Amino acid sequence: MTDKLEKSGHPQGVSATIDRRGVLKGMGAIGAASVAASTFRINYARAQTRKLRALMWEPYLLPEVVKEFEAKHNVEFAPTFFDGNSEAYNKLRVGGTKDFDLVQADGFWPRLYFQEGLIRGVDYSKMPSTENFFPIFKPDRFDILVDKASGTKFGVPFCWGSYGITYNADGISPEKASSIECLFDPEFAGRLSANARFEENIALAGVLVTYRLGTRDKPRPDGKPFNPYVLTDEELAEVEKLLIEQKKLLLTRYQDNGTLFQLLASGAIVAAPEFAQVYRQLLAKVAEGEVTGDIRHTLIPKEGGLGWVDTFLVSSGVADGDQFDLAQDFINTMISLDNMKVIGDRTGCSTTIDLRSVSTPEQQKFFLMDRTEELADMFMFDQPSSPEKWERVWSNMQAA
Amino acid sequence: MTHKTKAVLLLGIPTAYLVLLFILPIISLIVLSFWKTESYHLVYEWNIQNYVTVLTEGAYLTFLIRSIVVSVIVSVLATAIGWIAAYAIWTYGGRFRLLLALAFAVPFFTGEVLRVIALQGLLGPVGLINGTLMKWGFAPVRALMYSNVASGIGLFYLYLPIAVTVIYLSLLNLDRRLIDAAKIFGAGGFRSFIEITFPLNLVGTLIAFALCFIPCMSATLSPRFLGGPNGTLYGMAMAQQFGESGTWALGAAMGVILFLFSLLAVVLIASCLDLRRTGFTGFGRN
Repeated sequence: MTDKLEKSGHPQGVSATIDRRGVLKGMGAIGAASVAASTFRINYARAQTRKLRALMWEPYLLPEVVKEFEAKHNVEFAPTFFDGNSEAYNKLRVGGTKDFDLVQADGFWPRLYFQEGLIRGVDYSKMPSTENFFPIFKPDRFDILVDKASGTKFGVPFCWGSYGITYNADGISPEKASSIECLFDPEFAGRLSANARFEENIALAGVLVTYRLGTRDKPRPDGKPFNPYVLTDEELAEVEKLLIEQKKLLLTRYQDNGTLFQLLASGAIVAAPEFAQVYRQLLAKVAEGEVTGDIRHTLIPKEGGLGWVDTFLVSSGVADGDQFDLAQDFINTMISLDNMKVIGDRTGCSTTIDLRSVSTPEQQKFFLMDRTEELADMFMFDQPSSPEKWERVWSNMQAA
Repeated sequence: MTHKTKAVLLLGIPTAYLVLLFILPIISLIVLSFWKTESYHLVYEWNIQNYVTVLTEGAYLTFLIRSIVVSVIVSVLATAIGWIAAYAIWTYGGRFRLLLALAFAVPFFTGEVLRVIALQGLLGPVGLINGTLMKWGFAPVRALMYSNVASGIGLFYLYLPIAVTVIYLSLLNLDRRLIDAAKIFGAGGFRSFIEITFPLNLVGTLIAFALCFIPCMSATLSPRFLGGPNGTLYGMAMAQQFGESGTWALGAAMGVILFLFSLLAVVLIASCLDLRRTGFTGFGRN
């Protein structure tokens, strides 16, 4: 060892002077210095800039609105983006309530968050923009954001949609596209795509399987009315078979809306289930003459469909006071008529805020403003009854 | 500052780095792998069920085997092509050798996600290749569209620069006089390559192979964006456990198995080496 050190040019005797105690002392000193430095840095940063931290979907970020909000309140808006609800849920559960002030979620997830103490109640009186909700989204009717025991409201819905089927009527008939069966039809082999998220794929296949088996009216595992996120083992086994059959028919599973847009616009595929956002983007391009094709969307397939409502929530880490007021003011700003109009235009989502007074008749039709009541007929996005079983179904399908 | 203080500091920093950012996470991963998850909740019950699942369920074994096959093919190709490129630069690069070698690092100026998405645009159904083919009236090449071949091309594209750089650096360390000597004694170009150049650079070759193989085994981006419905590889399936499905304990067991497998691969690769035969001394050129 000493010989090697000498050959490699190290000063003689260094190896002999290093002992375990010395190394530990050095490491301890470095560790203490690092902790002290980071603590100082954090405290210094807190003193410098007040922050509003959000765990949200990226498409809903409006940079110009955020900039204005930051200037008005002298705060820094710090967003962290996520994809699926379970990802955000995982983040909150591992200490995220201290890391985030605002959170976004959809479907029944806000209720789960509230039950687990991850979010807190909100005060609609501090958010006057909530007066502009369509009737179906007012708290007296949209009760999934209200705690029945205490009457506490814990979320502010802002966008809604279905997980319907967007299709090109030049390649598939509207009659066929009105059923989920078209997504499993060998006639369209290689010209279909599906989302890469496992929850909605399994739930949508579950809607079809239970429709075929006629098991929805039979007693359900949770004793409640049918919910495609609560499936029996037999139904899950059928779902797995169905998804394995479907795999051969798919060109790919799209990872993002951009990819799906390209696939549909180019004619590479004729149908795919999606959140109607790509449908609206395609229609806009068709109107501009940049895309050809008869692009249509089935909002609720005949077997039933999935629906979602995106919601603003306030983390339980936010105490009453300035930070809470700031968080609520941000929500109020985002759901104002003007900003929701921009969000709708940019993301292609229907809004929970009634924008009919500021929209043309074409826009009202385009964003389904007169069809908000249909949401009541959809199955809301929810947490899988057993993520472990669902994961196994998904992995078996991927490996098949 | 005394020699002792300098040594403690110099050795303390990498040691603290390794302990904090490598050993502790690995230990926490091992601990996690012996617990279980139920509906996005960690259950602190010691069990080996996650390992049983990964090692006996067909799906996870399929992901592992699929990954090994893809990784071996990609690493062999990247090392072979890397050899040709590095050898050409070393032999014919002249005064531009360093620039040419650095050119392979240019793709690293952008992020991995960007590079994979750019490749998706190239290989996809309306990408440059298939788009051009279709414009000329030919059928698109389906193997390039969302397949394991496309995923393999993505991995090759991502890791070829590493193979070229490692082999080139290894070649820089080779004493050319040995090749000249072999030629003086009658060896042709091919024989001098087989008997001198290649064996004396075996360390670089195997390091290049390992540096391609190991990241390929845990790759997520390329199979996700290019792989298509049949393209799920082990790393992608593992990432899924920590993402939407929230089955962290199972994912941790998959991670530990991947770690052990990678360790085994490195040991196997190292066992192929006879350091004296390769001329490797560990002290650079004299």
